[in-house]
Order: sequence, then structure tokens, then C-alpha cells
Amino acid sequence: MTTRINFNFGRHIHRRTVLRGAGVALALPCLTAMQKALAADAETQPRRFVAMTLSLGLHGENLNPVNAGRDYTPSPYLKQLQDIREQFTVVSGSSHPGITGGHRAEASILSANTLACVGRGKNSVSLDQYMAKHLGNHTRFPSLVLSSSGNLSPSYTENGAMIPAESSPSRLYMRLFVNDSPAERERQSRRLLEGRSIMDLVADDAKRLSRELGTGDRDRLDAYFTSVRELEVRLSESAEWSQRPKPKVDVPKPVDIGNPSDFIGREKLMCDMIRLALQTDSTRFITYHLGGSGGVVPLRGVDEGYHSLSHHGRDEEKLEQLALVENAIVGAWGDFLRSLSSTDDSGPSLLDQTSVLLTSNLGNASNHDNRNMPVLLAGGGFRHGQHLAFNQRNNYPLTNLYLSLLQRQGLEVDRFVSSTGTMTGLEMA
Amino acid sequence: MFAPLPIGLCRTLCAITFFALAATARADEESPSQPKAITAFLQSHCVACHEGSEADAGLDLTSLGAPTDGSSELKRWIRIIDRVRDGEMPPRDAEPLRSPQRAAFVRAASDWLTSRQLELWQHEGRVRGRRLTRLQIERTLHDLLGIDIPLADQLPEEPRTGGFTTVSDGQPMSHFQIQAHLGVVDAALDEAFRRATSAPDERSTTLTAKQLARQNPRRRCREPELIDDTAVTWSGGVAFYGRLPSTTARQSGWYRFKVKALALNIPNDHGVWCTVKTGPCVSSAPLLGWVGAFEATDQPGEWTFETWLPRGHMLEIRPGDATLDKARFQGGQVGTGEGAPQNVPGVALHEIVVERIHRGPGNWAVRKVLFGDLEVKRGQPAKKIGPRKWSTPVPGEVISQTPRKDLAELIPRFATAAFRRPATEQDVAPYLALANTAFDNGATLQEALRSGYRAILCSPRFLYFHESPGKLDDHAIASRLSYFLWNSMPDAELRKTAASGRLREKWMLKKQVERMLADRRGKGFVRDFASEWLDLSMIDFTQPDRRMFRDFDQIVQQSMLDETHAFLQQMLDGDRSVQRLIQADETFLNNRLARYYRIDGVEGDELRPVSLKPDSHRSGGVLTQGAILKVTANGTNTSPVIRGIWVSERLLGIDIPAPPTNVPAIEPDIRGAKTIREMLAKHRSDSSCASCHVKIDPPGFALENYDPTGRWRDRYLVANGRRITRGPAIDASYDLPDGRHFENVDEFQSLVAATPDTLAANVAGKLITYGTGAPITFADRKDVEHIVAETRESNFGFRSLVTSVATSRVFLTK
Repeated sequence: MTTRINFNFGRHIHRRTVLRGAGVALALPCLTAMQKALAADAETQPRRFVAMTLSLGLHGENLNPVNAGRDYTPSPYLKQLQDIREQFTVVSGSSHPGITGGHRAEASILSANTLACVGRGKNSVSLDQYMAKHLGNHTRFPSLVLSSSGNLSPSYTENGAMIPAESSPSRLYMRLFVNDSPAERERQSRRLLEGRSIMDLVADDAKRLSRELGTGDRDRLDAYFTSVRELEVRLSESAEWSQRPKPKVDVPKPVDIGNPSDFIGREKLMCDMIRLALQTDSTRFITYHLGGSGGVVPLRGVDEGYHSLSHHGRDEEKLEQLALVENAIVGAWGDFLRSLSSTDDSGPSLLDQTSVLLTSNLGNASNHDNRNMPVLLAGGGFRHGQHLAFNQRNNYPLTNLYLSLLQRQGLEVDRFVSSTGTMTGLEMA
Repeated sequence: MFAPLPIGLCRTLCAITFFALAATARADEESPSQPKAITAFLQSHCVACHEGSEADAGLDLTSLGAPTDGSSELKRWIRIIDRVRDGEMPPRDAEPLRSPQRAAFVRAASDWLTSRQLELWQHEGRVRGRRLTRLQIERTLHDLLGIDIPLADQLPEEPRTGGFTTVSDGQPMSHFQIQAHLGVVDAALDEAFRRATSAPDERSTTLTAKQLARQNPRRRCREPELIDDTAVTWSGGVAFYGRLPSTTARQSGWYRFKVKALALNIPNDHGVWCTVKTGPCVSSAPLLGWVGAFEATDQPGEWTFETWLPRGHMLEIRPGDATLDKARFQGGQVGTGEGAPQNVPGVALHEIVVERIHRGPGNWAVRKVLFGDLEVKRGQPAKKIGPRKWSTPVPGEVISQTPRKDLAELIPRFATAAFRRPATEQDVAPYLALANTAFDNGATLQEALRSGYRAILCSPRFLYFHESPGKLDDHAIASRLSYFLWNSMPDAELRKTAASGRLREKWMLKKQVERMLADRRGKGFVRDFASEWLDLSMIDFTQPDRRMFRDFDQIVQQSMLDETHAFLQQMLDGDRSVQRLIQADETFLNNRLARYYRIDGVEGDELRPVSLKPDSHRSGGVLTQGAILKVTANGTNTSPVIRGIWVSERLLGIDIPAPPTNVPAIEPDIRGAKTIREMLAKHRSDSSCASCHVKIDPPGFALENYDPTGRWRDRYLVANGRRITRGPAIDASYDLPDGRHFENVDEFQSLVAATPDTLAANVAGKLITYGTGAPITFADRKDVEHIVAETRESNFGFRSLVTSVATSRVFLTK
């Protein structure tokens, strides 16, 4: 069995080519991002990132304050967050340039890729996975991709493949904190080892097959080959981590909420798990996709399905009920921030180390408009407490915020897909 | 709709191009210059508007690159050619263009595009690196191993490119994918080895009404109550009312239920429609799986259902028709005797026969696949040896005197089946070596076989299609054909025919297509194809607004799916014309759906062909079937834009470009202040919007008389707070892009159905995309024309189209 890692079939891929394909350009000369460990070692404080993505948006008129700047008057949804006003920024009038396709733009929330959203091209790496790829090697899990239901996520690998999400808090808890029995660990480790040998074998066979089938299939088999090699590495990393005991937490295993329409209950429960994962440094990069359910959210005053409410068609009754649901979503997000800021980590709070983004591909779910995305950003050591208001008709590129977030992680990157620079008005604290 | 291309000229040009390019470096690495005739034409007729950074529609012809496969330039070139061909460009206010000039340009540009694409395909193939979809992986593992457990759900959901998951360009690959695949392979092999080494587990029990009913009649609960030796569930709104704990599965598996029942208090004009669902039926897990529905009458009837039941799940059978009166019960529980006095309909169960079954062959067949003719010592399952005490199960074991020889025989045999082509010694060597190594390291024969099979099923030779550039060989044709028609691997006969080298003969291919469509698996073709082509897999995506659409329920929704499936199956079986997609004088209804459509005189719960009267509003074939109207709406309101694009792209074969990003979508307003027609009229006054909306809007408006649940309406509904009132009248009239006017959907159908060749070209394109794994592009147009011409004789029958596609050049070439 060989352990060498060969990422191409003898064809030299120019470094720039790879990065262009991934939608990211590096500042030159700079090798930092390619040498994974260096960037994070440069800083002693671990930097973390949590992306929460909504598939049905937030009603703009209820979210965005009317006036801009530090003295903004809180909007209906933000009233409940006034005690932590200095911990977050609300951004209006921004979106990903060139993104259309309504619901289909879910694929582009974190990748900002214009092809993916029309279902005709290939997606590229998402913000969270770019970070995980370069900085995720310090923890048991390079990243966690979670959802409120189903396995759809906005997290994409460099090959443009969607990473299936985990929707069960209890299964996540098991993965994070529960050690298997020795016998089970032994069985697992045997299957992992055999899995590694198999990956090695089929990777070699992919090369042979690629020669048989000619140049046309090479790219695809190349992707298969890379994936197999990556899995081989992951399996051996898993084998390594499986020798080390998992962190202990004094929280019992959660009971999953069976009702897929209990959107808020599920959000709260999963947020608790996210906090635990960050606290125990099990991972530093988490994406949590809150996919819209069709059912009735069990809240007082709500008796219509969430998805149906989002198509409010300006009907007052629907808008009223929608506001109840969305207010609770933002409220639960606020509770999550409070729990991070109160966590005792001796020194800066977990929130100071963690950039927390809440956004959605839909700026207006009623007509599937992808402009004017809802954007809330908290923590991460930025100077918050403001409303950054950009042009509602001619949107500011949200990818500029993504670039700021990448640089905040210590990555020396000077572009993310359609970005034109770092975020205007977003300073370090 | 496709411009006729001068075939002879094109061939000559292709030959010249091949020759010229062979001498130079690879074609796609440089950009061969644009033919002079094209440049000259663009210079004199186009660049006045389309030049520089301020060019109209952002199209700068002076900087537009040469078209390469799959590039945005290619799309632009195709659009340029089509718009010039259709007379849309140059615009009316420009200097008029003489038709020979127009034709000459279209010809020259078409030849240029076609020859460039064909040249590339010669080397790399039109379809590149296609792999099995998750549905295909599941079915292949089922057919290969003889097992029947669900597997596809454990693999990541797949994107649809050009409408289909089979299109290789959009098929994702990552280590997550491989990891999930490994998990599925393990699950499949665990099940196969379990079955190969144990006694058959099929069995049957009969549950009497007494066993089905609540065990403690004094407790208020959600189980049926015993009345006159039947287990009765009344029509009511309590969740899980009608659950049957005695049907709970002790092991996950496939079960067949024979339900004997009759109805109580039946309504005047129809029976009591009941739903059959499965789930744990507790409030922490409210989701129920759909099994089926039946219409109970005052005479006892028997219905059979087959379903997968995960361990711990049970059946729920209850009246489920939204139009039935419902009894009221306090506190979410039902007390014995509380329902009867309320005089609502109910269902009375006599008995249910429960059979544990396997879909597919028995354990002996699984054993044969894994162990050949080797003897197997069967294991013993856990047995009940006391109250709450079970014996330890004993695993079975394969017995061999010559394990090494058996490995050397069994592994290559399995590989040949799994790789869907004869595996050479060289192909198999690494897999055999892995199994041998395992055996050397102390594994039993059974474990060593498992290791070898595990590796084979992770191999790229299993996961990918083995297609070499140029004409496909017999085995590649067999695979393409069986995944096209069955979404599974070739069966023994197809493999035998491929091995005999006769599959490339057209008569033999046709014979195989006939055989495969007649096969059990062939009955799934229409369902599989339509689930993506017509978005039928999305039928559950939205829940209609309960305030606005009270009569809609899951029985209606399921019946709509069945209607479209039966209709398409009849088109396939009877080789009926594709005109029926747009216009047909019959459809398939059961009593429930007919009532929803407000069509009288349809009885019974089985679908039956129903002749449609002119005023039925359902004579539009697939176009006016409920399933289509539901998947094209969002549950609350309808948009002519969304339906218009859908009908254009799926049924009419008109590709609609994405809207410009700076134009917001129209925001619907259900308060009734303005109709969508008024809002769209404003939108269309912008000329850049008008050029596409002139195509999009006609089919959309034609369907405005159908609400989001597919029911006919004469007026919009208006939501005013809690109140729903009737709003403005609906106007479904419009003009086709060529100016012909239609007053309503019937007239629209007649106009569209008059050009069946266009409809046939569209269906052929969808079939090619689905069946080959690459979307139709410019250079495929001639193949499509050929198929259309070939099926003209049958008036473009659906079966003729499927056969013609399966025997076409494009289908038989990589």
C-alpha cells in the first residue's frame, strides 16, 4: 500500500488555475494558504466561523432599520437584541452579484457562484469549506455541516460537490462526545483500515481506467481519484482521532425534535450543540442551514405553513404570521450569541473569536428575489453596533464581507469570487 | 423548429476541418479563426449596435470568442444563429435583410459550430465521465445481489443538470460522496451476506378485528374501536387516529398487507376514501409515509398494499377524504362510543393479512451470487426461549474444501457482473489480490470474499460508465440501454446479446427495447423519466393554502400523479402521438379525482380511462392534468411567468434564457388590487423584457384558469385578512409570438398541437438527455431532426420516439 498523495494524473495544474477554478485568487507572492498550518499558527487565538443560512429569507421591512449608521433605530426584529446591540452589525442593500434563480440560489449562498444557481454549471468552494480546507486540520472535525431537516446544505467542496448535512442533534452529540465501546472501536478501526486499502486500490484502478477511456473522461475520473485519496487521508485521520478520547461535556444527550415544522425548537437545540462543539474545540467551522419547512410552525398565532406564509403576496394576515415566525428565528439567533458571549473561556469570549453570520439567498421570498439579502454579522472581533446601509436598487457585493471574513481568519486572500475589496465600513474593534 | 441544415455540405466541411486540425495542435487550445463569411456578415449587419462596452444586450460581437464545448460563448453563438434564423435579429427598425443572405449566414455559422463540436467529440466524446445516480446505484445493487432494502436515501441528493440527474456534467464527486457510497456498499453487503446464510424469513399472519382494535376499551386512545366484530375508525381530525399497533414491524423489511374492510355511514354519491400510511405514530415523530388509498363501500372489499416498514413502524388506516364530515373529539384522544352518535363516515376493518415478503428473488438466489455452488451451513436466528429472553443468533457459514480456488473463481465472476462487461484478468487482479491478502491474514473465506466484493463495488468500474470515444461497443450499448429503460444494470439476456456482438444491429436493438419495456422493470420507465422531465418528484414540494383550497388532500394529489403516469404509460404502450401531451379527449381518473375535477359519472377507486366532454376543461392532455398544474404553482397563487417558462422548456422545447439580474421579479399581490395581467403588462412595456416575455407569457396565461391545486376557476380568490372572497374574473386570452390569438386554453391547445413535429423534437431531446447523460446541444440538432423524421409515419408516437432514440447515432456513440 502506498501512502503517497498524488493529486493529478501527471498533468501539471498551475497553482493559479486551481485557485481560479475555486473562485479565489491569492495575493502574490503568498504561499500561506497552501501551507495549511502556518496561517493559524501565526495567531495564538483560534479563529472560528459559524454560518447560519435561511432558505426562506427574512422580510426586509421588518429586519432592516430605516436609518443607517451607529444610531439606527431598531427594526421590529432587532428590538429584542438591543442588549447585545454592540455585538452585531446589520447590513442592508447587499447581495451576490449575478445571482438569480430564487430557491436555486441556495447553492450559492456561501459560494457566490453565478453558474450554480441556474442549475447549468458547476458550483465552487463555499466560504466555510475554503476556511476548513486551509485551517481545519487542528480539530477532530475540519468542519461541521448541519441542517434543521434534510441533508441539503450550502456547503460545497472545491469540486463543487454539496456536502450532505447532519440534521439530528442527538447523532451529532454522539459523534462529538460519545466514545464507542472498545469492541465497536476495534470493529470500526478494522473497517477503516480495510477502507483505506480499498481506497488505495481503487485510486490506482481509476488511473488505469482513465488511460483506457481517453482524455474525455479524465476530469471526472480525476475528481473521483482526488476524492478517493482525500477519503483515504480522512480515514487515517479518523483512525488517529479514534485513538484519542472525545471531550467530555456535562450536558446530556439531546432528544431530537421529531416535528419537522418545529423550526424554532430545532434551531435552539442545534444552536446548543454548536456552542458545545465550539467550546470543546471539536471544530472551528460550522454551517447550519435552516431549510424552510412546508408545515405550520408551532407558535401562538400561527396556523399556516411557513413556506406558504413566505409567499405572503402582501396579504396582511400572512405577513403578520410570517413576522411571528421570523421574529422567533432572529430571537433564537440572539440567544445563541448571548450564550457565546457569556461562555467563560478565560480571556476573550467565544463570541469575540467567532464570526457568526446569518443570511439567506432570498431577499424577498414572496417573489423569489435574490437581491437585498438579509445579513446579520456578529462577533469575530469586529467593531459592531451599526447598520451598514447600501443601495437597495444597486446592491453592494456581499462577497466583500466574505473576503473580510477570510482575512479575519488569517488567510492572505485578496479576492473571493465577485468581491471588489473588503467590506466598506466594517472595522476591527 | 430546427432550421434544416444542408447535410452534404456540412459533412464536407467537417472532413476538411478534421483534416486541417489533425495537422495542427489540439483544437480547443487555440481559437481557430472565425470564418470570413461570418465576420463579414456581423460587420455589415450587427456591430452597429453590438460593439464595445456599451453594446446592446451586453453582446460585444467584436470580442466574442470562438465557441468551445459547454462554454458561455457557445450559448451566445447558438442564440445569435437562432435569432437571425427566426427573423428576430436584426430588429425590425434596422436595414432589412434579404432571405438568401439570412440563410447563407445561418448555414455558414451552423456548419462552423457543428464542425467544431463534432471534432472535439471525436476525441473526447459527447458524454464524459458519466456515473451512476443514486437511484441507479440502489437498483444495480438490488439486481446484482438479489436484495431489496432501500439504499438511495443514504446517498447525498443529486442536482439536476439540464433537468436530469443522469447528466454527467452536473454529477458531483467528493470524499463525502465516496464515504457515503462506502456506507451504502457495506449496508448492501451486510444484507446480502445475512440473507445468503440464513433461512428464508418470509412468513404470514392474520390479524383479526379484535387484534386490530384497541385492547382496553375504557381508555381514550387513537386505535380503532370494536363494533360488530370490526375495528372501526371514524372520520376525524385527531393525529394518528386509526393507528394499528398490532401491525408494528419487528424487523425492517417489505410487507404486504391484505386489508378487508367496508364503510359506515357512506355519503350519498360515493364511498369512504381512506388513506393507508406508516410511521411510529407518536407525536415526537409526526411524519407518516404514504402507502396508498382505497374507497370503502357498503360491501366488504379487499385491497392489497406493499410497503417498506422500518422496525417499530406501524400502519394507520383512516378516512382521509377532505370533503367528508368530521367527528369532534376532545383532548386529542377518542373514547369508545364517542364517534358513532356523531353520524360521520367511518371505516370498519374485518381483518388484515400481513406477509413479510421480499421484492425480488429468495435467499437461494442471493446465496448463488455470493457463493456460487458452495454449500452453506445456515445460521440460526434469535429465538424466543422465555418471557423477554432470546437465544443468541448463530451466524451461518460457507463451507469450502478449496478456499483459494473458490476465491479465484468467485471474485472474477462477481467483477464481470458488477462492471457490466467481461472483466479481464488484469482488471480483476488487484481485487483478487486484496481478497487473497485478507485470507492470508487469517480471514475466513466468507470475510475474504466480502473484502473483495466491497472493493469491487467501490471501483470506478462499478460507479462509472465504461464508454470509449467513438462508437460504443456492445457492452457499453447494453449498459446505456438498460440504465435508460430500467435505471439498472443489464440483465442476463441483454448481457448475452452483447457478448454475441449483435447488439449493434438495429433489428436486435429494437427487439431488446420491446422486450425491456414489456419487462417488469420496463413498467418503471415512464415513472422514472417523468419524475424528472415533468418534475413529478416535486409534487410534495408545496402544501396548498388550507384556507383557500379546502377540498384538496393527499388522496387527490396521489391520484393526480397516478393519472399522469397512467396517461404516459398508455401513450407508450399504444404508441400514441406526442400531440396528446397538449390535446387529448380522454384521461385516467378515479372517483376521488373526478370529483375534484368536477367530472360526473366516474366510479370506483381504480383509475380508468374517461372520455372527456368538450366543457370538461381537461382536454389538454398532460398540459391540463392536476399534477402538472400543481408542480408549476407555489401552493398559494399561480404565476403565468413560472408556468409559461415551465411549459416552454418542458413541453414545447423553447429554451428561455435567464432573466437579466437587474430586473426584480414581479411581486404577486393576493389582496386583489391588481391582477397579474396588469402587473405583467407594465413589466412588458420594457423592450428588453418583452423579447422573452412574448414567448413566456402565452402558455402561462392559457393556464390561468387553473388554480395552484389544478382545479378550474373562473375568478381569482382574494385573501382579505381571514376572509377569502371571489376576486376579479380570469382572462386567459393572449397572442402567440407570431401574433395568432387564442381566447382560452382550448384554443391555445389547438394552435400548439398543430405542430406535432416541434413537440416530438422536444420529447426526443429530453429522452436523449436522460438516456445518454448529456444535454442536447447544437451539433445534436441533426440527430434530433432525423429522429423526428423517422417517427413521422407513426404521427410521432411515444414508443416510436423511445425506440428511435435508442437506435439513433447519438445514443450509440460516446
